[in-house]
Amino acid sequence: MDTLYNIGLSFRLAFRNIISSGLRTWLTITTLSLAFVMILFFNSMYTGWEYQGIRDQVNWEFAQGQVIHPDYDKLDPFTIESGHGNYEKDAHLTPVLIRQANIYPDGRMVPILLKGIPADQQIVELPTQLLKESKVNIPALIGLGMAQDNNLKVGDAILMRWKDKNGTFDAQNITIAGIFETNVPTIDAGQIWIDLNRMNQLTGLQQEATYLLADAEYNQTTNASWNYKDKEALLKEFYELIELKRGGSSFLYGILMLIALIAIFDSQVFSVFKRQKEIGTYIALGFTKKRVTFLFTLEGTMYAFIATVVGSIIAIPLLSWLHEVGIPMTSNVDQSRKMGITVGEYIYPLMTPELFTKTVFWVVVLSAVISYLPVRKIAKMNTVDALKGKK
Amino acid sequence: MNTNNIIEIQNVTKRFPVGETEFTALSDINLKIKKGEFTGLIGPSGSGKTTLLNLIGALDIPSEGEILISGKNVAVKSDAESALLRNEHIGFIFQSYNLLPVYSIFENVEFPLLLQKKSKAERKHAVMQALDWVGLSDIANKKPSQISGGQAQRVAIARSIVKKPDIVLADEPTANLDSTNAYKIMDILKKLNEELGITFMFSSHDSKVIEYLRRVITLEDGKVKNDETK
Repeated sequence: MDTLYNIGLSFRLAFRNIISSGLRTWLTITTLSLAFVMILFFNSMYTGWEYQGIRDQVNWEFAQGQVIHPDYDKLDPFTIESGHGNYEKDAHLTPVLIRQANIYPDGRMVPILLKGIPADQQIVELPTQLLKESKVNIPALIGLGMAQDNNLKVGDAILMRWKDKNGTFDAQNITIAGIFETNVPTIDAGQIWIDLNRMNQLTGLQQEATYLLADAEYNQTTNASWNYKDKEALLKEFYELIELKRGGSSFLYGILMLIALIAIFDSQVFSVFKRQKEIGTYIALGFTKKRVTFLFTLEGTMYAFIATVVGSIIAIPLLSWLHEVGIPMTSNVDQSRKMGITVGEYIYPLMTPELFTKTVFWVVVLSAVISYLPVRKIAKMNTVDALKGKK
Repeated sequence: MNTNNIIEIQNVTKRFPVGETEFTALSDINLKIKKGEFTGLIGPSGSGKTTLLNLIGALDIPSEGEILISGKNVAVKSDAESALLRNEHIGFIFQSYNLLPVYSIFENVEFPLLLQKKSKAERKHAVMQALDWVGLSDIANKKPSQISGGQAQRVAIARSIVKKPDIVLADEPTANLDSTNAYKIMDILKKLNEELGITFMFSSHDSKVIEYLRRVITLEDGKVKNDETK
């Protein structure tokens, strides 16, 4: 009870002391709250991007997991040739077959990945019903990026050449039956999607797939010799990318945070130097040196408390608004997609309670440590000299 | 130990390091102060007056000897015990007032009571009573920067007596004041000594203070040269 009373009293005194310090206090609080808002903003943006990216990649590309042919490595294009085979049918698996091919838009030869997927699939958001509805010879789906890069539109016929299972080159016109728009460039750039049955006929690879898309109920009993990767494993690279980006931006708010912490450190050094008589008076009135040290540390830490309150008043409505309207990424989106990075045209920042709590915790803890360092001197201070205000 | 003696100083010596040597500020001091005394330590600068007051107030510890306050040796107390002793039993009045600048007059006087965990009502009553004693209840809401030196010293007096301590130690309380204010302060202190029975101990070389003292202890070169009761 005594301890609680003493802590409460110290809080009251610390608050009064820093509020009465005027401009210096508000400068420190402004810098610190700016750093706090920046930390929240950048982290919310990356969290929002992460959520969007996960959702889009799961919905468009990964499903709930993939069962991959043991000879196929998506990072090694040479494995496409042999990385496919017969698979056991399973109601919870949707096959995808990949082959290399070329198209000839405007007389240029463009290497592409030809992907076959059942036209009646519903496991990913690819609009494959367009393949089913089309009456043309070889209907094909492409992404918006692919369409723009090759100047293609719905209804265009284009010559495609591929190798069948015996290594013989075949060529036929395909017709663009639909163009889809997605934030996932890895199913768009340089890729053409056709119905798997049609692809089986074109290549002679019957009942074969490169990988199988799994739904949530797949229990790994079929195709056990293939490599199963759940969606978390498939998203690993994306998580690493987000962490890399997060790390890069932490440099910016790290600098801001450093400036704020230096301001606190400076205020504390100034306090101990300038307020010696006050320190002596506290001791003469009945404070222990430890308690004066605590009071002064609390004053420094209180900058962080107030800064987080001020910062929250700014950040919470701002980030809630941005969560609704989104931050346009139009200047970066093309470049990012060309690099294969999943990014939407708008990023919707997402501030989770965990992110908020963690940020407040670290700002306050760092401020407390920085506040304590200069005031350790009080414990060694001579009370009599302090009372006289001797420097 | 005579129970009438609130302060007993036994063979106290205080030395301060000066470079590689030591300066002896007090040498083998022996004194007994009874409850309710109005005593002054006088002597020239450097005679050891303030040093002795600081030792009695547990703000410093003697190099040798013992200082007993109500029979307990303050020199062997821990930091927390010394702080408690100062808060509950000793009031201080300083030459330069030492008011806390960000607090109002009321809050400055209230401060020792906050540490004693008194209730709000008790604190308010005690603070207003203390301000009444020094004639400043009408400026309770002002800040130290808004009052004169004489008023500031009266606030410091109110702060020192608000908790009704056994002893008030006043270090050159009139040194920064003009004659009118100095006499006013001494009148107040004398009245408080008589009405509340608080033991007052001064350090001063101000003749106006000496006029009021009932016991005058003269220090010279860290030794008691004379001890005279009027």
